[in-house]
Amino acid sequence: MNTKMRLLKREFDYQILILPVLIFYLLFCVYPFLSTFYYSFTDYSNMKLTNLKFVGLENFIGIFDSDLLMISIKNSIIYALLMTVFQTTLGLILAVFLDRKLKTKNILRSMFFLPAVFSPLIIGYLWSYLMSTSDFGLINSAITALGFEKINFLGNPDLALYSVVVTQLWQWTGWAMVIFLANLQSIPKDLYEAAEIDGANSWRKFWKVTLPLMQPSVNVVAVTAMIGGLKVFDIIFALTEGGPGNSTETIMTAYIKTVFNEGFYAKGAAFGVVFFIAVMIITMVMMSFLRKWGENTR
Amino acid sequence: MKKVNMLLLTAVTALSLTLAGCSGAKNEPAAADQGDKKDKVKVRIAYWNKEESVKTLLDLVKEKLPNIEVEYQFIDNKQYQNIIETQLTAGAGPDIISTNPYTASRYAKLGYIKDISSLADRYNDGGKNVYSVDGKLYALPGISWFEGMFYNKEIFDKLNLKPPTTFEEELALHETLKKNGIKPQAMGAKSWEPMMKSSMAFVMNDFLAKPENKDFDVQYAEGKTKLDGNWNTAIEKWSELIKKEYLTEDMLGIDYDQALDEFATGKAAMWQSGPWAVETIQKKNANLKFDMFPFYGTEPGAGWLIGGPGVGFAANSNSKHQEEVMQVLDLISTPEGQQAFWNDNKGGSSYLKGVEFEMPEQFASVSETLKAGNVYAPWNNWGNASNVIEDYGKYFQYVLSGKMTVTEALQAIDKKTAELIKAKAE
Repeated sequence: MNTKMRLLKREFDYQILILPVLIFYLLFCVYPFLSTFYYSFTDYSNMKLTNLKFVGLENFIGIFDSDLLMISIKNSIIYALLMTVFQTTLGLILAVFLDRKLKTKNILRSMFFLPAVFSPLIIGYLWSYLMSTSDFGLINSAITALGFEKINFLGNPDLALYSVVVTQLWQWTGWAMVIFLANLQSIPKDLYEAAEIDGANSWRKFWKVTLPLMQPSVNVVAVTAMIGGLKVFDIIFALTEGGPGNSTETIMTAYIKTVFNEGFYAKGAAFGVVFFIAVMIITMVMMSFLRKWGENTR
Repeated sequence: MKKVNMLLLTAVTALSLTLAGCSGAKNEPAAADQGDKKDKVKVRIAYWNKEESVKTLLDLVKEKLPNIEVEYQFIDNKQYQNIIETQLTAGAGPDIISTNPYTASRYAKLGYIKDISSLADRYNDGGKNVYSVDGKLYALPGISWFEGMFYNKEIFDKLNLKPPTTFEEELALHETLKKNGIKPQAMGAKSWEPMMKSSMAFVMNDFLAKPENKDFDVQYAEGKTKLDGNWNTAIEKWSELIKKEYLTEDMLGIDYDQALDEFATGKAAMWQSGPWAVETIQKKNANLKFDMFPFYGTEPGAGWLIGGPGVGFAANSNSKHQEEVMQVLDLISTPEGQQAFWNDNKGGSSYLKGVEFEMPEQFASVSETLKAGNVYAPWNNWGNASNVIEDYGKYFQYVLSGKMTVTEALQAIDKKTAELIKAKAE
């Protein structure tokens, strides 16, 4: 009895220390989050800030009627899928390659990781000059010098989104590589020795030993790439501002435009709610898929 | 027990530290300067341009109104509206608010800004109208902005070219330049702005300037008319620039700075922009000789520049220093005030009656257009629909890349306008 009481009191002592952070969290995170749900059912806009009316599902229906919002959903999904698949595979290839005994190993590792250090805004500025079609565009100068036609990387509506993906793969693959490297180094060497004794070549060793044991890091990289991809904003903002036309508008840029430029607060809130639910479902499906894969390979 | 008390104390202290940031800060300055000079009143003015852009004006206020201390608050344009609106909703905000025509009319309807019609008589109609709601003035029209076509004088002289007087001549000009291996015009079409302005300028010449279309913009704001069915002929004509490949898809990959570089370094003979670019052009190439001509339509005439009143200064109706605010606005509305304001915004013109400034040499060829008062921006009269210009520009990017026809683009813009008007028509 006495020990139980003491234990309880001790727990209480510790938990009271959480209080300030908890209040901060409730006030600045949970409360705004919940109010988004509330506003999504009202007619809140920059012309109507008080006396809000309940409008039911009108805002949610409005999403499907808006070209901008629909295109942005499509673009975000393409972007997130490409980022997830390529960041994971390219990162994995780089990591396996740079895990070998190379003299230039450390230099190469730092070089691949370096772009991740910079802010996407700087990267965006840099690449918009590199990919420009003006005479100052470095890549296009090289292409024309070789006698080919200029490629309109950021100005062609069919190409712009993929150009953005390329810059982001360039920036973030090194980051994925680092995570994979950490995981690779934790795989016991004796497993490889055992596989060699069984006569496995390096290809089989990769598939049967390395990859299954990489599951935890693949999990982390894939899920963060997916979520990060769905809510991409900064690089679009710096590189294309959603253009040309709406061809690189993503969920977040469209959200900002709807709420802050056009003043449709409630509609933006509804879009935010839909986005939240969608990300939650996608993440859950992905996690369970990756978990199953982990279980099967073990 | 003691330990619990200690922990509680720690928790409470930590909490109070966290929350301390939320309060206090705002009230302190007022208390602090009471001991200083008891008569000095602090008037806060917020603007989205850096302090240098109004420095002479602020100095003038300091000199002429010793009882007032102006506190200048710079807020970046991207965040400006957001921050100001939050403050206004809470019944606070700066004493003098910088606005654009659309926000001014919105704030007026919401009661955030004061009727300042007592100063209205001093300004001419062109500036007054865009900042008035129901015949009452709500913001002082600032120094105007305008955009025309800069051209490289050396290239023009070398090829014996003269600034055009009609759109046909402008097309011919493009052709000659192109034949001589010079890029006729640079355009940073990666931004939605230049094509929007270029095409609207043609519409202003060929459609809006006609007496029968005088009320088009106002009717468009009310949803009574559409672009599709009205602007098609003019825009089709304008799109000759695209069809003849003077404006190319390449330009969608070029932004404002890169286009400026092309013009400043003589790679392109023309570039559409305004007074704000002059300094940067000269910084990049001090020897460049350039001038500006206006946009023309099919008929010869004075041409049009796209533009309008710049920033509008409005008075917060919740301000505690109403009288002092009016003193400042009154000072701005004198020739002296306008001169001081213009000093940091050279190139624009004043809307104050009887005030004229000497134009810098880069604008010699647009002086006739300015004299005729042919400076206009249709969207300033589009009310709730004025935000559609971004979509307008974006759909025109599709036109340039061949993904949309002119009619399709105009229809898409009309759809967006309807959405903007409907949602806010309370």
